[in-house]
Amino acid sequence: MTGYRLSSGGLVNRARTLSFSFDGQTFTGCEGDTLASALIANDQMLVGRSFKYHRPRGIVTAGSAEPNALVTIGKDGRTEPNTRATVAELYQGLEAHSQNRWPSLKHDIGSVNSLLSPFLSAGFYYKTFMWPKAFWEKLYEPIIRKAAGLGKTPFLPDPDRYEKAWAHCDLLVIGSGPAGLMAARAAARAGLRVILADEGFVLGGSLLSERVTVGGVPAADYAASVVEELKSLSNVTLMPRTTVFGWYDDNVFGAVEKVQKHVAQPTGELPVERVWRIVAKRAILASGAEERPLVFGGNDRPGVMTSGAVSTYLNRYGVAAGQNVAIFTNGGAGYRTAADLVASGVGVAAVIDGRAQSSDVAPAGVRIINGGAVVDTKGYHRIKGLLVERMGHQEDIACDALAMSGGYSPIVHLACQRGAKPAWSEEHQAFLAPDVGQGLRIAGSAAGLSSLAAVLRDGAEKAHEAVGDLGRLVGSVDVPEVEGEYDASFAPLWYVPGAKAKAFVDFQNDVHVKDLSLAQREAMGHVEHTKRYTTGGMATDQGKLGNVAAIGIMAGMRGVSPAEIGTTTFRPFYTPVSFGAMAGTSRGEHSRPVRTSPLHGWAKRNGAVFVEAGLWYRSSWFPRDGEKTWREAVDREVLNVRVNAGICDVSTLGKIEIFGKDAAEFLNRIYSNAFLKLPVGKARYGLMLREDGMIYDDGTTSRLSDQHFFMTTTTAYAGEVMTHLEFCSQVLWPDLDVRFVSSSDQWAQMSVAGPKARIILEQIVEDDISDEAFPFLSAREVLLKGGLKARLFRISFSGELAFEVAVPANSGEAVADAIMAAGKAHGICAYGVEALNVLRIEKGFITHSEIDGRTTPDDVGLGKMFSTQKPDFIGKRLSSRFGLTAADRPQLVGLKPVDHDKEFKAGAHLLKENVKPSTLNDQGWVSSVCHSPTLGHTIGLAFLKSGRERLGEKVVVWDGLRGGEVLAEVVSPVFYDPDNKKLNL
Amino acid sequence: MPVTYAARHVLEDHISGFEATPNPHHLAILPSPVVFSVLAHAGHESDVEEALDNLEDVHVRVCGPGEWLVVSETVPANTIARQLADLGAADASFVDQSDGRVVLRIQGPKVRAILAKCMALDLHPDLFEIGQSTNCQICHVATNLARTGHDAFEIIVMRSFAGFLFDEVCEMGREFALTAGFA
Repeated sequence: MTGYRLSSGGLVNRARTLSFSFDGQTFTGCEGDTLASALIANDQMLVGRSFKYHRPRGIVTAGSAEPNALVTIGKDGRTEPNTRATVAELYQGLEAHSQNRWPSLKHDIGSVNSLLSPFLSAGFYYKTFMWPKAFWEKLYEPIIRKAAGLGKTPFLPDPDRYEKAWAHCDLLVIGSGPAGLMAARAAARAGLRVILADEGFVLGGSLLSERVTVGGVPAADYAASVVEELKSLSNVTLMPRTTVFGWYDDNVFGAVEKVQKHVAQPTGELPVERVWRIVAKRAILASGAEERPLVFGGNDRPGVMTSGAVSTYLNRYGVAAGQNVAIFTNGGAGYRTAADLVASGVGVAAVIDGRAQSSDVAPAGVRIINGGAVVDTKGYHRIKGLLVERMGHQEDIACDALAMSGGYSPIVHLACQRGAKPAWSEEHQAFLAPDVGQGLRIAGSAAGLSSLAAVLRDGAEKAHEAVGDLGRLVGSVDVPEVEGEYDASFAPLWYVPGAKAKAFVDFQNDVHVKDLSLAQREAMGHVEHTKRYTTGGMATDQGKLGNVAAIGIMAGMRGVSPAEIGTTTFRPFYTPVSFGAMAGTSRGEHSRPVRTSPLHGWAKRNGAVFVEAGLWYRSSWFPRDGEKTWREAVDREVLNVRVNAGICDVSTLGKIEIFGKDAAEFLNRIYSNAFLKLPVGKARYGLMLREDGMIYDDGTTSRLSDQHFFMTTTTAYAGEVMTHLEFCSQVLWPDLDVRFVSSSDQWAQMSVAGPKARIILEQIVEDDISDEAFPFLSAREVLLKGGLKARLFRISFSGELAFEVAVPANSGEAVADAIMAAGKAHGICAYGVEALNVLRIEKGFITHSEIDGRTTPDDVGLGKMFSTQKPDFIGKRLSSRFGLTAADRPQLVGLKPVDHDKEFKAGAHLLKENVKPSTLNDQGWVSSVCHSPTLGHTIGLAFLKSGRERLGEKVVVWDGLRGGEVLAEVVSPVFYDPDNKKLNL
Repeated sequence: MPVTYAARHVLEDHISGFEATPNPHHLAILPSPVVFSVLAHAGHESDVEEALDNLEDVHVRVCGPGEWLVVSETVPANTIARQLADLGAADASFVDQSDGRVVLRIQGPKVRAILAKCMALDLHPDLFEIGQSTNCQICHVATNLARTGHDAFEIIVMRSFAGFLFDEVCEMGREFALTAGFA
């Protein structure tokens, strides 16, 4: 046994043991353990295999920067790969598996890569798989993809819930260590709304791992007392298990909270994870500092850890990493760990200090080797000893764990996610965050402070600055005394020369010193290039542990300061965030808002098949028994409308009520055709253009009274047209007296079309709706029998005699039922948007298939709707541009296949006969196509260069995407009833 | 032919037959509120606002500069229409939206925690006072939100989005055992 649980000490609850499994073997841990501490307590030093060389790896840290101890936790749909064992809270029944090994962790075939390592240098893939070129997609990439990656994603649905939420505060404190606790307390006492977030499951940060006395009590007890005080204050929100992963514009922070990641069976009432967007007036980054590993030969052997990790496992979890621990340090931190170990009764093999001399004092009886260097480690699955060199003299030292300390790097990630670059500090031998403004202040060891007393004071002071910013009264700084501190200073030691084995800089990506050297030689020396070339600083740890050493070594290789090398770019996320958490509840049916028409229930009862049109569910067709294909249903609906009558839900059209004494003038400027003299009680079809002269949208607008108009827009552009009107009213013509509001949802609107439409509606409508009393384009309020007020419009999108009836939405279904009942004897049928589309194509009416942003009124054959009389309207000026008036502009035409059995599809292009398909030879495109049951063959609407002059010509409909060519005749776009006889029955 | 047309509330399909006794956290659907959009013409905004404030038994919700929703559970639509017409067409225009809007009331000690999952606004009691209202997005849907009590809010949503919004809010309320039903 080496790693073991001490009989006492630490913050774990020894009375409550938890059983868990690792690679199928059952172990026990304590409440308050992480998976990592429990594994070490059970002497499981080997926890994974490295990414590239499959080298045996153990736990290196006790926190979120862990590069090695990535395990898969959970099973089935709850499987979560690449979880850092060092932050995974232990729970009863936890199941964990190691990764990147086969057939087992101890005997891994992939470790042969380690023997091949001379061939697997940085850039290996780039250089090796260049040729033959065709092999890349078919051979190399699939093989590399199979070999790459660590954990495996489960291909099962995730059974858990996730959520997203917003939070607001005056001050967000990120990190609950000494600086964070003091900041939160100071701000809370001043009355600020404070959120204190920390990734750990116990608040207190590094105070939980300290043996010093703070305020006269052990550090962890002091932390607990501050947390208790904060808990008692209603203006404070404590957020443990919450990692603040990003800093965004407007001082919004992204955070992810593990709500139920520490329970065996999550309840469905709570999410397992929740993403928070925290809007903070001010924030304090108290994220602490990361202890750097040292770069020496064999530094990746299981059992080699940072000295902070050794102390944390000892002091917080009551777990010794070994019985005979060696320490390799370049500063005071190693001496502190030595003292911690001795105090706990753990043996210390030696303190190897890279510095020739120091004032640090080791506990009595501990051997110190000043000016020494570890050049190799012994053992395979775990460390068994060291080779230490001093002045050419080598010595074997036996040990079962090695604590290393290479100094500290302030954790400045969040502060540098919005463009600011960390700046090298010669004094701190570290990169510090620059001043990023009042929004985010950096406090404590994140700001480069090293003594605990200074860190505590800085937290409180930074909070007072924030309190002052927000105009509150600032009290006096109240921080406790610290006893038993050690000197945390260190001397730079980027690389330990004389390595007899690989000296790793980045454990997670297997990047060692020679890779960095190769990148220098091969013109990949820029820090961003080196990162991509060597993969150093990629994957889950994003270089938290190794990047600064890599920069130091690169600087050393070039003989410059690390300031000249600089860092790579910091971006969210600080630590990985699951896709589930980012999606929140937006899964499946919840992924986007759904809109349903007031006639949705009616359509459902009548057997509608629905289609998603934007956010809307629209009834697409209404199949009947015996109809095998959608076409059969649509053909029947179309023919029935032409012969009898049909009823269609058109409630989804945008509807806007426009009021004001200048409403007519306003519309006259919005539309390209005249609206000023539209009589009360009449509807008019209108085209509105964009400023650039292209058609924006179309629809009908009715004048319900002198100063009240009712506009309809297309379904797709309802919101856009409303925005357009707002812009025109507020910005272009604020002098016009006009107000408008959407009433899209107020009305259930149905089109009743067909020769028998009037006979049917006469049974429903009280008013006289004869052709004389209610001619084409009439529009007014009517009374339905029984007293319900409705709006009736005599407009047609089918070419048939048609009315649109609008009734208050809640009565829509009842009115539609009544119309169906009244029409039963007359053969009425419900028809959907597919039949609606066929009916309009047969009549040559346009939709957004034709109004696609590239067409002018003249292009679509509506040149007469471009008023030359009006002084101005939106789009008038730019319509006179040469390009918009050119003679060879594509113009709307009809197309029918010469051979009536042939079909073509929308999106196909048009060519003259016997020419090669090319952009130069392109004659236009097909915009809408359907099978016309009325004519018995395919018809299409198309845009053809100078099309109106070319009726009768034969063109090739060329479909390069789906294949095929069809010869078609150019005809008028109005295929059916060109004289509008049926409209005016 | 039927002489009366049955009105059907859009959320009838979203309520299961069994209606639980309301929990402390409850989402109530107003079965048939009267809702009007009111628009003040330029220069008449403050007059109209004052006149609206003087209407009895209605709530006035702010939708934007010179634009309000007037909501009532007790005053009939005809009465409100008449009162609004009395303001004069030159001052104010209005349109009945009673069928186009769904009115929900949500309450409970943790109501802000539920709404925080739905929206980005800070609803702290000191910042969003009783009677205050605003347009905002709730669960990605355009709505009007008003604070109606210490821990009570009113949501007005377009009818076509109401089913989606209702289901979303219920989902967000699961943590606090939110119940829902017609008021």
